[in-house]
Amino acid sequence: MSLFRFELRKLLLNKKTLFLLICLLILYSVVGLTSTMFLIGGNDSYRAYEEAATDWEGTFDSEKAAEAEKIYKEVSARYGTDARMIARSVKDQPEIILAVNYHAYAERVDEYWIGTPPESTDEPYGIALLQDKIAELERRGQRNSLEYREFSASLQRLEELGEPQFANTLLWENLFNNWGEHMMQFLLFVPLTFVIAPVFAMERSCGMDNLILSSRNGRRKIVTAKLLSVLVASTVVVMLYLTATFIFGFLPHGSFHGWDAAIQSIPTYAQSMFQFKVWQLAAIGAAWLIFTGAVYSLIICFISSRMKSRIGTAGVSLAVLFVNVALAAMGDTVTQRLGALVDFGLANVTMIKEVFGGYKAFNVFGMSVGYPVMAIFILGIFAILAVWGIYRGQKNRTV
Amino acid sequence: MELNFENITKSYKNKQVLKGISLTMGTGVYGLLGPNGAGKTTMIRIMADVLRPEKGSVTYNGNDIYAAGDEYRANIGYLPQDVSFYDDFTGRDYLEYSAALKGMEKKRAKERIGELARSVGLSDDLNKKCTAYSGGMQRRLGIAQALLDDPKILILDEPTSGLDPYERIKFRNIISAYAKDRLVLLSTHIVSDVEQIAAQIMMMEHGIIQHVKTCEEYIRMMEGRVWLVNMPAEQLVDYQNRAVISNVRAKDGCMVVRVIEDAKPDGGAVQAVPTLEDAYLYLFNYLPEKNGR
Ligand SMILES: Nc1ncnc2c1ncn2[C@@H]1O[C@H](COP(=O)(O)OP(=O)(O)O)[C@@H](O)[C@H]1O
Ligand SMILES: [Mg+2]
Repeated sequence: MSLFRFELRKLLLNKKTLFLLICLLILYSVVGLTSTMFLIGGNDSYRAYEEAATDWEGTFDSEKAAEAEKIYKEVSARYGTDARMIARSVKDQPEIILAVNYHAYAERVDEYWIGTPPESTDEPYGIALLQDKIAELERRGQRNSLEYREFSASLQRLEELGEPQFANTLLWENLFNNWGEHMMQFLLFVPLTFVIAPVFAMERSCGMDNLILSSRNGRRKIVTAKLLSVLVASTVVVMLYLTATFIFGFLPHGSFHGWDAAIQSIPTYAQSMFQFKVWQLAAIGAAWLIFTGAVYSLIICFISSRMKSRIGTAGVSLAVLFVNVALAAMGDTVTQRLGALVDFGLANVTMIKEVFGGYKAFNVFGMSVGYPVMAIFILGIFAILAVWGIYRGQKNRTV
Repeated sequence: MELNFENITKSYKNKQVLKGISLTMGTGVYGLLGPNGAGKTTMIRIMADVLRPEKGSVTYNGNDIYAAGDEYRANIGYLPQDVSFYDDFTGRDYLEYSAALKGMEKKRAKERIGELARSVGLSDDLNKKCTAYSGGMQRRLGIAQALLDDPKILILDEPTSGLDPYERIKFRNIISAYAKDRLVLLSTHIVSDVEQIAAQIMMMEHGIIQHVKTCEEYIRMMEGRVWLVNMPAEQLVDYQNRAVISNVRAKDGCMVVRVIEDAKPDGGAVQAVPTLEDAYLYLFNYLPEKNGR
């Protein structure tokens, strides 16, 4: 217990790290604040948007869609079709933003019924498209194929979820942007790397290994203490990020509007097959970041136990974190051949959008396993291997 | 108690640093003497289980120390040659952390820290940052750390470097009192550190333990090999290049030179009473030079 207290102090509760944490807290608050402030002009614009949106929320309404379409045409003639460009240009006109959003929503409803274009490489989505694919497989007599079962399950799921509804989830969209995009990795996982990196490497660089390795508890108990302190430290850093972006994301507008909507109302999650409410996704997303942060930290811990310096550890850890971004950037041939590496590389698996935003399934010995379950399984294996390697390494370590 | 080295070898890259060390140690103080680079630290690290030998085995009461693992290390107190500290730790933090590493009970650790701080003279400095300590204070803190859990095997790598004469004497007294029923191994290249307290003195050079003897045995070995020669100052420079000189004293306008030599030198030499330092010079300077000549 007391060894754990010391390890925690060395890793987290010392002046340098606490100072870093305070800086991070400020940074995160600023990120939360600015992302929400520039979302839709000032506070008044948001109020106006929220008020106007209440009339539009709910099931699909073709009259409203027509009206939105008209406004959208006018706007896009002037500002182009890029939704973000439009949003930036008409910041102070909430009614227009609302119409543009409703127009996008109408397209998503179409997609729900008709489906993604056949040439799309994504998982098939949409009632009609899935029905077609299933019919085709039936014609070919492939009722027992994995694909057939997958498509049927998807279709059934889509029908259960029902047609997406329109909801004002602006503030939550902003939250999920902050929590689930690459930006989060730079703001959260990169600093986390530097917090965790010294855990073992510092003993080497400052020469304390002599004392540690020659002591009774220096080869096993200390590893337990260090691992625990790493988990605490990573949870603290992630919680810092989550709380700061949460509080400052909602505070300026003083509203949680949209918390009870289905996540399919959020554009990025429109094709999600998970039957979550927005608040549930937020809870799951937070838990997901804590979990993946912990696994990543254990991997850093392993790297640290093999390296001489903190900087070296950080470098290798960041390479591990972003390796799949590089792979994915190499193009389709690489992505296809090393698909698993891209899917379960840390840069992907730490993003809730990737994990909960669609319905990827994997064929594991003939069983169809969903992305989150598969990710938990694979990350679990990473974590176990890392921990095992750390214990083994410390047992055989020399100065 | 018996600690046994069996044909231990160790190399760095392609340089063999330990060339087959075999020896047995029981209770008492053992001095490990040898010039810099002899391999003392390497041998000590193996004994402290922070380095593994390439060949050979170390056993403690018949059990391999690497197989025994935690159980063996529970008996060790180790002062490394380079003591190091965390930036923000005070002396007390450092000792408490060491106690936690050794798995000591809190209450006992607290008592021992108080006791040892007093005996190494750091009571008033325990709440200061280690990094603000002087070299001697750091060394004394390291000694306190090594003694913390009353180890059966105490391993000290150059414990006296950085200590002033009074601190050295105090250190010797602490160790003498401590060594009863315990094994203390103390490495140094300073002869006076061990000549009074070590029961056995091991002379190490080039990765080999050349001799293990008591201080008296070394002195007896040197009988008839230490001489006092009188000569004018002008001759001394030339003479120095030919002989191993352990001391020069000016007396009545003439130089009294203490020479290590197997045979009686010319010029009215008289025998002197040998010391351990003479033996050190004989083994590490005179013999190699003579063999090289
Ligand atoms: N980590 C190392 N890498 C390479 N050579 C080393 C290392 N440690 C020690 N040596 C070499 O081994 C020899 C013995 O060193 P050491 O055991 O420290 O001697 P001593 O303690 O007697 O001064 C020296 O020549 C030294 O250069
Ligand atoms: Mg040395």
